[in-house]
Amino acid sequence: MTYVLNRLLSLILTLFLISLITFAVTNILPGDVAMMIMGTQSNPEALAGLRQSLGLNDPLLVQYGHWIGGMLTGDWGNSLIFKKPIAELLGQKMMASALIVVMSMTFALAAAVPLGVWAAVHRDKWQDTTASATSLLGVSLPDFFWGIVMILVFARWLGWLPSSGYKDPAVDLLGALRHALLPSLALGLGLMAHLTRMTRSTMTGILGQEFIRVARAKGLSEGTVVWRYGLANAVGPVITVAGLQIGYLFGSIIVMESLFNFTGMGWLTYQALLNRDVPLIQATVFVIAAVVMIVNLIVDLLYLVIDPRIRLG
Amino acid sequence: MKRREFLRTSTALVSSTLLFSTALPFAAMAEGEPVKGGTLIWGHSETTQNLDMHQTGTASSGRVLQNIHSSIVTVDANLNVIPNLAESFEVAPDGLTYTFKLRPGVKFHNGATMTSADVKYSFERCKDPATGAVNFEVFNNVAAIETPDDLTVVIKMSAVNAPFLSRLSENGAGVIMPKDSGPTQGTNPMGAGPFKFVSYEVGTVVKMARHDDYWEGPSYLDAVEAREITEPTTRLTGLRTGELHMINDIPLDQVEDLKKDASLQIKTWFPLNFDFVNMNHTYEPFQNPKVRIAFDMIIDKEALMQGALWGQGATTASPSFPTSANYNKDLKQRPQDIAGAKAMLAEAGYPEGSLKIVFKATTNYPYHIEAAQILVEWFKQAGVELTIEQLTWADWLSQCWVNKDYQMTMMNFFTLWEPDFLYFSVWNSTGAFNYRAIKDQVIDDLTAKARITVDDAARADLYKQVQQQIWDQSHDILLWFRNGTIGAQPKVMGLDTVVHPNGSNLNFHKVWIAA
Amino acid sequence: MRKFLTPKGLIGLVLVALIALVGILAPVLLDPALATKMYMTARLQPPSAAHLLGTDQLGRDLAVRVLMGARTSLEIAVVAVVISVLLGLPLGMISGYAGGGVDNVLMRLVDTLLAFPALLLALTISAVLGPNIQNTTIAIGVAFTPYLARIIRGEALRVAQMPYVEAARAAGTTNLAMLGRHILPNILPVVIVQATISLAFAILAEAGLSFLGLGTQPPAASWGLMIQASRDYLEKAPWTGLVPGAAVALTVLGLNMFGDVLRDVLDPRSK
Repeated sequence: MTYVLNRLLSLILTLFLISLITFAVTNILPGDVAMMIMGTQSNPEALAGLRQSLGLNDPLLVQYGHWIGGMLTGDWGNSLIFKKPIAELLGQKMMASALIVVMSMTFALAAAVPLGVWAAVHRDKWQDTTASATSLLGVSLPDFFWGIVMILVFARWLGWLPSSGYKDPAVDLLGALRHALLPSLALGLGLMAHLTRMTRSTMTGILGQEFIRVARAKGLSEGTVVWRYGLANAVGPVITVAGLQIGYLFGSIIVMESLFNFTGMGWLTYQALLNRDVPLIQATVFVIAAVVMIVNLIVDLLYLVIDPRIRLG
Repeated sequence: MKRREFLRTSTALVSSTLLFSTALPFAAMAEGEPVKGGTLIWGHSETTQNLDMHQTGTASSGRVLQNIHSSIVTVDANLNVIPNLAESFEVAPDGLTYTFKLRPGVKFHNGATMTSADVKYSFERCKDPATGAVNFEVFNNVAAIETPDDLTVVIKMSAVNAPFLSRLSENGAGVIMPKDSGPTQGTNPMGAGPFKFVSYEVGTVVKMARHDDYWEGPSYLDAVEAREITEPTTRLTGLRTGELHMINDIPLDQVEDLKKDASLQIKTWFPLNFDFVNMNHTYEPFQNPKVRIAFDMIIDKEALMQGALWGQGATTASPSFPTSANYNKDLKQRPQDIAGAKAMLAEAGYPEGSLKIVFKATTNYPYHIEAAQILVEWFKQAGVELTIEQLTWADWLSQCWVNKDYQMTMMNFFTLWEPDFLYFSVWNSTGAFNYRAIKDQVIDDLTAKARITVDDAARADLYKQVQQQIWDQSHDILLWFRNGTIGAQPKVMGLDTVVHPNGSNLNFHKVWIAA
Repeated sequence: MRKFLTPKGLIGLVLVALIALVGILAPVLLDPALATKMYMTARLQPPSAAHLLGTDQLGRDLAVRVLMGARTSLEIAVVAVVISVLLGLPLGMISGYAGGGVDNVLMRLVDTLLAFPALLLALTISAVLGPNIQNTTIAIGVAFTPYLARIIRGEALRVAQMPYVEAARAAGTTNLAMLGRHILPNILPVVIVQATISLAFAILAEAGLSFLGLGTQPPAASWGLMIQASRDYLEKAPWTGLVPGAAVALTVLGLNMFGDVLRDVLDPRSK
């Protein structure tokens, strides 16, 4: 219990640290949003006017204070380029990304676990090599490559799925799933390498253990041994790694969402960064970092439940 | 992100300045009678950001807002200023008074009728620094805006400003908004255009619906959906699968192939913008005209255009519109002459191997990166070591545009139709777009004079002289005009009316979808 | 050593050796000017007799570019991974071994860094340090450090709790000796495996960053830059992406198989 409380406290501390880093980094980036809005119409006079109206001239500490204070009271400010309340934008886009994050993780696990088990069972033989090669393909080529392949194959040549866009699941669930499918598949491919490898090595370790030999000696079928006894124990570490991959996933969605114009957090973050929309950068980066931290915490706590033998800090 | 075109110009091209070329499917559909109804789904290449017509400087917002807003005057295909929301206008002989007679019965989207009060409000809002309007300087010389009656607006100038009227022909400065609608224009743009704003899902789609009381008569289409799809491959795929009726900005390398595709209509027009290579005049070697001229001689403009644009453009020695009165036809680009360039550089004190230059190019325009790579090869042959530094758009704006921290770069401008806006801003030493720090007394004198010259022919001649001077001194190296492209399903009709004379904005008033 | 005679081992070994050879020899044996020579009449050509692997959008020979690119890409990847190991190994080892407060603080720091999108880190580094290839390499190395540190920390933790290690500690071995003689050798296999997969990510990271103008500047050849440039032509000329892509894939495959077998050889647990 104290452990949990400890972690929660350090989570708050970490969130504070994240906010500081986010703020610092955002303000280091050269170029400002006024320049981005005016583009090549920028001239010192007009820029000065715009900056003033956007509140960019206040001292840094004041801006930071404003930001933190605002967040705590629910006022996340407005996006300077989209002219909409950030909280509203975040809410919508977070839902969208949550959808593909969950879907892609599901696809990845559904493919990686059987593949990893297969490789572990037939260790060092051709199956092992094939499984390695397959899972590595996803990671050998960049996300946009798989994204474009998906679009060309499934949208253009087969015509099964839409090539871009986002639909709100609350409004149109089927449409939402159809639009989310391709980006999720492409993202899932990138996850497979790590997950397959993790499954394989965990299973290998488990299959070499005493209790597996006992189960086999008892005459249980190989299938039962592997799947019921073996895999059940491998689930823990695999889920842990999967959870840690959430961070990687949130990084990948920045490119993937833009490719498909699937307007989620990744897309929003990218727009914010590119346009130097300071309030939006701060909000999106902070939220993504916070989400990843929270997921890591949940994973760590789950691990505690799954394997209390591991003494943690 | 990619081919985002941030620059909007004040006015358009003149006359058949837009040279169209259409490739129709074999079973070319005879245009036939316009069909009323339907929703046009347009795959838009850029993200719309700010919907406030005064505050936005981006071409992407401009394209969408062209359907929602109308300006007080506009330009015809020959770039002559013609009535629009004003049914007539008059400029006093001394150039200090502009009188507009407004069209009666023009309805805004909210049902209100346009009056002179709305015009006064709109112009004053643009001028007000607190608005942060991009084109506020258009109204710098405006001393007073009077509204003697509901349909008359009289603008008194404190000084002669020859380009004033033509600057008003674009929405950036001349847009008429309902009185007091300013605060909500960013989220709910409202005007007198053929379509009214319905909704904007950020980054996804802008929805517009027909404005039945549009003064020129209602549009055929019921609605327009501008779906934002920045990735070129995705956008093109959407057109091919039928998800989209129309797209703008087709990948340059595919245009010729697509023209042969019987299942699609491809329209290219020219010019969309002009590109030029820039040399920073604060960098010592570039202060010597011989060096600049030599650099001009290293570049084969036609080959570069083929290489970077896949032939989707036309080389030019002048940035004025090819059919406009001020286009200097006698100017020809210097042909490539590497040996001559080497000799000239040596003469100027820079023998082979002594010049090492950094060329900053922005990834915002991928074809700039391609062009830069081709330049590296030619400059190598001439004994100049060119290295490329890729910059994001934000960094380019910051380093090259604002801080002038670069040696060589290249940029494009949407053809600034109004010659004063073009030549003064870009080449006058006090010009707002003079990021190369060019100080040429001849050009300064000519552009200042042209600004107050009311006679059209005399003005045109002055600008021709400016172009000659730019060429003589090789202040910049003019490259080409680039083509604009749209692709559409065969059933989309009226595509010839879509592109605004400014070459950038799109207007769907006369578009219809065949049954 | 017998392990290397398995199909996996052999393939891994051969691939790694091949790619290393190409990386070392290509720039020596081939004329560097060929990598940037443009055949403007043969742009986006599929593989043919004149150009064995086809040409890219500026008419450059892909075969020459992909071979020359090996050196650039591998250099960046190796240096970046080395940086991440040099930084992450001590961090993870000390954290896992020491446990308690030290572990807590260090891992919180690491987790915080991990939570930020790499894109932001890249933009920041370029803003602060400047966008050249050395800084990009450092950026990638630093970006990988937290992940590596976390993995190593997990391993160090596990090893530190092994009975014989605890025994050595009880016997009064100095911390430094503990780390060097007992912890390090036991976690090395994992480090090697992680390093090999990181190499792949490093190559791809360069690809992603060149999108922002970081990393190798055109017209130089690097696999990352080539892959990035192929983005717009994948439909019409897929070989522009598949050629450098295959190079990366083979490198990744080779390194992983090699790494797997190496780990099996080194890891006392998998006997």
